Amino acid sequence: MLFSDFIIQIEDLTKIYSVGEIEVKALRGVSLRVEKGEFISIMGASGSGKSTLMNVLGCLDSPTSGVYLLDGKDVSKLAGGSLAKARNKQIGFVFQSFNLLPKLSAAANVELPMIYAGVGAKTRKRRTYAALAKVGLENRMNHKPNELSGGQKQRVAIARALVNDPSIILADEPTGNLDSKSGNEIMEIFRELNAEGATIVMVTHESSIARQTERILSFKDGRIENDSARPLQQIFGIRGVRP
Amino acid sequence: MLAESIASAASSVFGSKTRSILTMLGIVIGISSVIMISSIGRGFQESVNSQFAKMGAASLQITVKYDTDVTAKDLLNLDDVDIVSSHPRVKEAAPLLQSTGKIQLLNPEDYREAYILGCTGDLKSIQTLDMRQGRFLAGPDVSNSTSSAVIDSNLAQKAFGSANPIGKTIQASMWFGTAPLTVVGVYKSDEFGANYFELPSIIYVPITTLMKMDNVSNIDAVYANVDDRGSMERISLEISKLLSLSHRNEDKYSVQNLLDQMDAVNTIVSDVTGFVSLIAAISLFVGGIGVMNIMLVTVTERTREIGIRKSLGATDWNIQLQFLVEAVILTATGGLIGIGAGILGGTLLGSVIDVKPSASISNILAAVLIAGATGIAFGVYPARKAAKLDPIEALRYE
Repeated sequence: MLFSDFIIQIEDLTKIYSVGEIEVKALRGVSLRVEKGEFISIMGASGSGKSTLMNVLGCLDSPTSGVYLLDGKDVSKLAGGSLAKARNKQIGFVFQSFNLLPKLSAAANVELPMIYAGVGAKTRKRRTYAALAKVGLENRMNHKPNELSGGQKQRVAIARALVNDPSIILADEPTGNLDSKSGNEIMEIFRELNAEGATIVMVTHESSIARQTERILSFKDGRIENDSARPLQQIFGIRGVRP
Repeated sequence: MLAESIASAASSVFGSKTRSILTMLGIVIGISSVIMISSIGRGFQESVNSQFAKMGAASLQITVKYDTDVTAKDLLNLDDVDIVSSHPRVKEAAPLLQSTGKIQLLNPEDYREAYILGCTGDLKSIQTLDMRQGRFLAGPDVSNSTSSAVIDSNLAQKAFGSANPIGKTIQASMWFGTAPLTVVGVYKSDEFGANYFELPSIIYVPITTLMKMDNVSNIDAVYANVDDRGSMERISLEISKLLSLSHRNEDKYSVQNLLDQMDAVNTIVSDVTGFVSLIAAISLFVGGIGVMNIMLVTVTERTREIGIRKSLGATDWNIQLQFLVEAVILTATGGLIGIGAGILGGTLLGSVIDVKPSASISNILAAVLIAGATGIAFGVYPARKAAKLDPIEALRYE
């Protein structure tokens, strides 16, 4: 049963890596539904599978089996160029270490996803300015990353993530490399975006950060161990969980 | 997409100037050598061709075939000039007798090697001498066996300095003794290599005078101008037959068409140019390998960047195109610099050996295309490596 309100719908997702002779089962049958406009946290120890799930959610990796519907489209069977296209148009990444291109200015960094999307120059300029203004950095457009503070760099990264109007924003420990003040600023921006309707999936190891979101998923051994979702979602979610 | 790739590739390449310059070096050297050599070669060919053109490619040089059994009666003499002239297609004919000697210069210790050519006034138009002062030999010089001489401007300068040489005497030491010659004219010396080689002077004296001095009755060659370039072979054969008839011998005369000589020179120059270009092409190949190696290093260094770009939605092809374009920009820029250096080098080298280099547009265009193609050929492997990187792994790379 599919509800078109679910922006993410995963059914029984598995991911198995072969490392030489050994098979690593990173995801052992994960099912998850996320509604549009949710702000959820994912927590878990290293090796629990949370990073693998983020990679699959972000279309950086394809699952070994299972279905992944992103905004109604099945992206689980995509590969190569079409996966990249989905990644480009529907995902906005925010990384722990910012991952800005050091030789490009803030504006050029923000512009990049649009270049890969084939957007025209004038539109790119307009949207770049709008995105940077949204995170309060319109006066730093031509600064290079090494001229920006950690918090500012992360804000540029957020602007970059927004620029193609993605279905979901995936944030991997977004405050991990920031002091608490900048960290709070970033969370403030996320809350604002969420209030405007953005769907945000965030990995974090800090419970203080996680508690600022409305739903927390706990990962262990390649499965969702706990989902603090509203009871109705729990019901629909339970059907997919395998022991 | 292509425009952005080019813009971003350009800023990458010109952003790391030192590395880019070092990478381009092989290409620059390869291209500049090819341009330099081929422009000198062409310049030389053009100069030779124009000299031959001045001489009139319809010139024939008739000599005895010295590699056959030659007796005294086979040798050419003054009558043969008339026999050659008698051929309907021959416009004019002139005799030549060659000897060597040393000419004493201003400083009595100094002398200059010289060819002393005995001829008639007709030779001037056949050899297209550029008279500077005085006159060439004339009828009376020949009929009276005067001791008049026409010398080249170089010799005039070395023997008389800035003084007017006309009417002055030069001492020519030949095998039989020293003969005083009176200068009646000066012609412009051939400039080729004048700065570096001591070319022997060429002095023209009346052939009758030289024959007397040398005590011979034969001549070395007959030069003729023909008015029908199309049938050179046939005319050459006929002249040879006429001479054989008069001397009562068979196939003793070589009638050479200067056009063939010109072709021979052109072929040699082309072959040499081609050979040197081949060597330069090898250097270009090595330069290409250099580009490939540097690009491989660059790809490794930018693994993280590639991961980031892929996470933003760059496809394998986007990445491959980016690095290919960078390689082409490197090699094409190297090619352009090489062309500039080659033209400069050619001009410098040309001023030393006295050849006016001629760089053809097609050569330059070919150089740019070849440089660009080298970039594509040697950039493909690194570009593909970059394109195939797994974004997750790449993002983890430190």
